[in-house]
Amino acid sequence: MSTAKVGPSIEASGVSKVYRAGTAAAVEAVSTVSFTVQPGQFVAILGPSGCGKSTLLMMVGGLEPVSSGRIVVEGEPMNGPRTSIGVMFQDSTLLPWKSALDNVLFPVRVLKRSIADYRETAHNLLQEVGLNGFEHKRPHELSGGMRQRVAICRTLVYDPDVLLMDEPFSALDAISRDEMNELLLDLWQQFTKTALFVTHSIREAVLLADRVLVMTRRPATIVEDLIVPFARPRSLALGENREFNEICRHLRERIEESHARSRAPRTGIIAGRRESAR
Amino acid sequence: MALLDTVSGADESIPNGRILRLVLLPVGFAAATIALWQITCQMLSVPPVLLPPPFAVWTVLRDNFAILFDETLPTLSESILSFAIASVLGVAIAVALTFSAWIREALYPGIVVFQLIPKIALAPLFIVWLGVGETTSVVVAVFIAFFPIVVSTATGLVSAKPEVLRLCESLTASEWQAFRMVRFPYALPYIFAGMKVGVTMAMIGVVVGEFITAQRGLGYVIMFAAGASETATVLAAIVLLCIIGLGLYGIVGIAELLVLRWFGGEAPISGVI
Amino acid sequence: MPAVVRQGIVPALGPNLRRARPIILPIATTAAALLLWQLAAVQLHIPTVLLPTPIEVAREMWRAFPILMDQTWPTALDTLLAFAAAAVLGIGLAIVITYSPLMRDTLYPNLVFFQLVPKVALAPLFVIWLGFGSPARVAFATFISFFPVVISGAVGFAGTDQAVLRLCRSLTASEWRSFLLVRFPFALPAIFSGLKVAMTMAVVGVIIGEFISSQAGLGHYIMNAGSRLETADVFAALGALSVLGIVLYGAVALAEFGVRRVYGRR
Repeated sequence: MSTAKVGPSIEASGVSKVYRAGTAAAVEAVSTVSFTVQPGQFVAILGPSGCGKSTLLMMVGGLEPVSSGRIVVEGEPMNGPRTSIGVMFQDSTLLPWKSALDNVLFPVRVLKRSIADYRETAHNLLQEVGLNGFEHKRPHELSGGMRQRVAICRTLVYDPDVLLMDEPFSALDAISRDEMNELLLDLWQQFTKTALFVTHSIREAVLLADRVLVMTRRPATIVEDLIVPFARPRSLALGENREFNEICRHLRERIEESHARSRAPRTGIIAGRRESAR
Repeated sequence: MALLDTVSGADESIPNGRILRLVLLPVGFAAATIALWQITCQMLSVPPVLLPPPFAVWTVLRDNFAILFDETLPTLSESILSFAIASVLGVAIAVALTFSAWIREALYPGIVVFQLIPKIALAPLFIVWLGVGETTSVVVAVFIAFFPIVVSTATGLVSAKPEVLRLCESLTASEWQAFRMVRFPYALPYIFAGMKVGVTMAMIGVVVGEFITAQRGLGYVIMFAAGASETATVLAAIVLLCIIGLGLYGIVGIAELLVLRWFGGEAPISGVI
Repeated sequence: MPAVVRQGIVPALGPNLRRARPIILPIATTAAALLLWQLAAVQLHIPTVLLPTPIEVAREMWRAFPILMDQTWPTALDTLLAFAAAAVLGIGLAIVITYSPLMRDTLYPNLVFFQLVPKVALAPLFVIWLGFGSPARVAFATFISFFPVVISGAVGFAGTDQAVLRLCRSLTASEWRSFLLVRFPFALPAIFSGLKVAMTMAVVGVIIGEFISSQAGLGHYIMNAGSRLETADVFAALGALSVLGIVLYGAVALAEFGVRRVYGRR
């Protein structure tokens, strides 16, 4: 589509989101966030639950209006959803009455393109994620990890330029989650896309992303923008790397710092505990 | 029969003996009750006006089957007709409620209030308007069967996962596409839950309509026979009504089962109303 | 349920107006409907027998108020008696079904069967058995309002979180204590949804009873006024009956609110 354009793929400047504005119960979910993402870059937004990172992602996707500030995607100001952006949700959001293949083809149907043109693409994608033989299974016959694989295929099938992923693996068990991370690394080698990936897992962010943006709860803004130095292709083995663990520790400290500032000290270990559970 | 599963769901494995027990016990209980009824009537020589023995009811059914069958047909056709009208009307209005916030906020509280008042009491009003006859029975039945279907369908149409609707939004799907591809299929279990209540309600409406207006139908037979103290005939007509009721409910239940299988193995919705 | 339905996409309006809309709109709709009714009845010269104007209905309500009150009492009393009986019997049987697998397997399918058949057809039988008086109506109303209570009660008791029951066993709690502390509170929402249905069914049962057998009560009054073609009277009585229905339902809802508060607003 507009990949030929020079300049950043995503550009957010001074973006805020206030719920129930003008009332006593007003909540600032996102507070003057600015960042840019270059074309082809994989950027993770890392932060504790409830820090507004999902809201930020939804605003980038045009699914939530901004309260103030400006978001520009591929040179065009965002004022609503568009088909050059693909969104993946925490839940696989598959339609329970459709087979895996039909679920992958769902966007094609919505966009009123020819199903026949995309059938092969869909088959290839399912094969790519290791679901050959499962094309005609229904979601309830698939495991959680398999369902998310179908959701990935569904996002890729109509070839959007920008992928927005909202904690797509956070509902999975640790083992499936590792598998999904590895799969996403593999896929990333084959597709040139821009990605914004929201997660609360430090290791996941560092493993997958070229850049990690750390978001805190109060204020709900980005406090750190860190470049992950590892070359691609990467694999799960990166997790044993000492530098990898150094980066993770650094990020954890940054999150705990801002927690200590905003909350009672005792709860500051939550982010760390979640990590060690992995 | 989702209710059955819920209640007996505690034990997960069902050995053969258990299936036998699940069928034999209730059937045995029903048979024992009927046997006890027969024996009591004979031993204590209960006057047949008060309680005729089951055998007498059977005799009436057998001897007067042609007459009773003639009276069954209008009741059956009125029930089906009013159920069909109530279903179409109920689903259509629920769709309107979902699509327009204005219509919803204007009408929905009224519909909820109507759910609470005894709508059957309006039957005499329909007699004033439509006269004594089959039309009145059908309109009364539509009127009372309609509400559970609207409420249940309206609940179902907003029960689609918000994230799936978000997905549609992100794909720039139109309202109509989102409705056709997501909202409506998600609402199907709810629609069927409403229709299952609706089909029973339609029968109640028809029978009450026949009680107070008709010159035909099983409701009329029951009232007439009760007035003439022919209790065995009353019971015979009730037996036929039960058969119609179960038959119609069974058809809706089977349709639901087929749709839910298409829907993908999710549990049927019960207790929405 | 209404709360779920209200979660639609609300078009942009001022925040205050938007908040007031769910209250204003239904009232405005009702007012508009009454106005339209009045106008239509007057302008189209619809005979009073077919459709009296709202003003005529109001006047009739005012005139017949003492009579209507006299007729409301027996209906209300019968309904309350039937509801109380259905509640006690229903919850009692639900408990029996919960604790005795034998009783459950024996009775439950038969109860479901009765849920599905048009039980109103049995109304004349109750008249044969119990005569034209109030006992027949109370018994009939109990009969039709009892089933929803048993079934939702049984479903509620069975739906108790198994892990919590296991916890009770691990604490060696007696059956009675774990019933009181766990099963009963867990089943409350289901029990109350059954009781709400039972209350509406009890009113319906009493009204049908009064249609076919009684010399008093709102149902009798409606039938009578209908057959004399005094339509304004019918409407007035329907108004009284609606108020009765809503008040009785409201009483159950209020009780539910109170009980749920005792159990920490689950």
